[in-house]
Amino acid sequence: MVNYGGDEVSALVIDIGTSSIRAGYAGDDNPKAIIPTSYGYLPDAPTTTEDVTMGEAGQNGPSLWRDGMRVENPMTNGLIQDFEPIPPLLNHALSEVMRCSASEHPVLVTEAPWNTAANRERMAEIMFEEFQVPAFYIANTGVLNAFAAGKGTALVIDVGQSTASVTPVVDGFVLRKGLQYSALPQLVHAHAKHLLTSPTNKRPGIQLLPHQLIATKTPVDAGALPRFQVREDRVAGTTDSWKLWYEAREVDEWIQSVAGVLDQGWNDQAALARGARHYEFPTGYNYYFNGMERYSVGEQFFTHSPQLVASNPNLPKTIPALVSASMNACDPDMRQVLFGNIVLIGGGSLFSGFADRLHNEIERQTPHAKFHAPGNPTERRYGGWLGGSILASLGTFHQLWISKEEWQEHGKAIVGQRCK
Amino acid sequence: MASGVGVNPDCLNAFQELKLGKKTRYIIFTLSPDNTEVVVEKKSESHDYEQFMADLPENECRWAIYDFEFEKPDGGRRNKITFYSWSPDDAKIKHKMLFASSKDALRRSLVGIAAEIQGTDYSEVSHESVFEKVSKGN
Repeated sequence: MVNYGGDEVSALVIDIGTSSIRAGYAGDDNPKAIIPTSYGYLPDAPTTTEDVTMGEAGQNGPSLWRDGMRVENPMTNGLIQDFEPIPPLLNHALSEVMRCSASEHPVLVTEAPWNTAANRERMAEIMFEEFQVPAFYIANTGVLNAFAAGKGTALVIDVGQSTASVTPVVDGFVLRKGLQYSALPQLVHAHAKHLLTSPTNKRPGIQLLPHQLIATKTPVDAGALPRFQVREDRVAGTTDSWKLWYEAREVDEWIQSVAGVLDQGWNDQAALARGARHYEFPTGYNYYFNGMERYSVGEQFFTHSPQLVASNPNLPKTIPALVSASMNACDPDMRQVLFGNIVLIGGGSLFSGFADRLHNEIERQTPHAKFHAPGNPTERRYGGWLGGSILASLGTFHQLWISKEEWQEHGKAIVGQRCK
Repeated sequence: MASGVGVNPDCLNAFQELKLGKKTRYIIFTLSPDNTEVVVEKKSESHDYEQFMADLPENECRWAIYDFEFEKPDGGRRNKITFYSWSPDDAKIKHKMLFASSKDALRRSLVGIAAEIQGTDYSEVSHESVFEKVSKGN
């Protein structure tokens, strides 16, 4: 067993999300390796696990075009669904990007608040058996985020790439009955994609063609039809999964640069008054998107239009609906203190205007609400990782690690006992 | 999930003194410089609540015990031992994390606390808002 005394633990912290895997040394204030969780593979290769194309830290994973390459993501609704690609992905982050060996460091992994017991035990097994780590701990992102905001009791609102969740944390423990989550960010994404690809009376539907498939293009005026030539040699070798992945990325980029949320609730005039913003797609098509288009995207986080509700009874809950469902499941005594300590976290919450709008929505229901939203985007996006980084760097924390010896003696049961 | 930080026996002694001796008005706790245990930073007999608020630093975390005394409308006097977690927004994230994850160790070792206050700014620990909380239902 590695001998760790004092604060010199040099533990590794790994936070696996739908969009990216964050890995780094405990005690740092930034993850050293941020790699995309989506990976590309060639189905004909002898074993899929050995031929995984992944990006360097900060780059974009399967963005390299390869003949016949498919793209997969092991996550579903914030949980790891497919464990097979996890070892190669982690190996890539640790050995290729960070250039360190997991067998020499204790490893702290984060998990979503709704993670299952089987899932966390599988994670422990991968760490001990495949990575030969000397010690392991799995920590809940809801609690880590609450602690990182300095609160033992808090209502953590986490908006990620695939899932939005509301987690009540009381005295360092998740109140399971109040836990609420939905696939809301996916609906927002689908709305944006639909908005872009369907024609309006002012513009045609926009083709989301990746730049990797475009041979040449000529600049055109805003709103004019694009003039470009497709790389015919690549069309046949492009798989549907890669295309879908790329389109999702293009939509995300459009959302990040153009879309927003109105801070005072929906109002056609207010939306139009925000003015138009310019965006150019890889085909060369460029357009000034007006306020209605830009702000209707973010509005999906807060309200569903009546038409949408009528056509689809199983819509993911909006953020205000998640918050009130969570509150209704909690003790009335807890509500006041939880509302007084709301922590907003997750990359999705960096949506322009999001924090202000949420503040207004919640204040309308409960005038005493108090908000904590880290202004620093790193803290917002990697809050869970950062919390884990601080916790794992503490000298006093070492008594809580599950050591390899304990794992060998007690087996899977120890994970549930130790990591509460 | 906890940080594993220990509690110095002095903390308990000071708390017993406040509880039984009825002389100490408040105690401020902090972490030792090497972040391994909770220690007593200050004991005070001052009845001045302003003084107590001034002892909570603007951008560092602390815990505190205050023997909160108030009068009921019908004239009965009440004392409520109140536990404070003080964690201002401007504190360093490492300290916030440390204090939040160590609170449970301290809180569990102190028996006989009537109310708990979680404060991030001075309005949340002001006399009125604490009074509102502790006087409820008594």
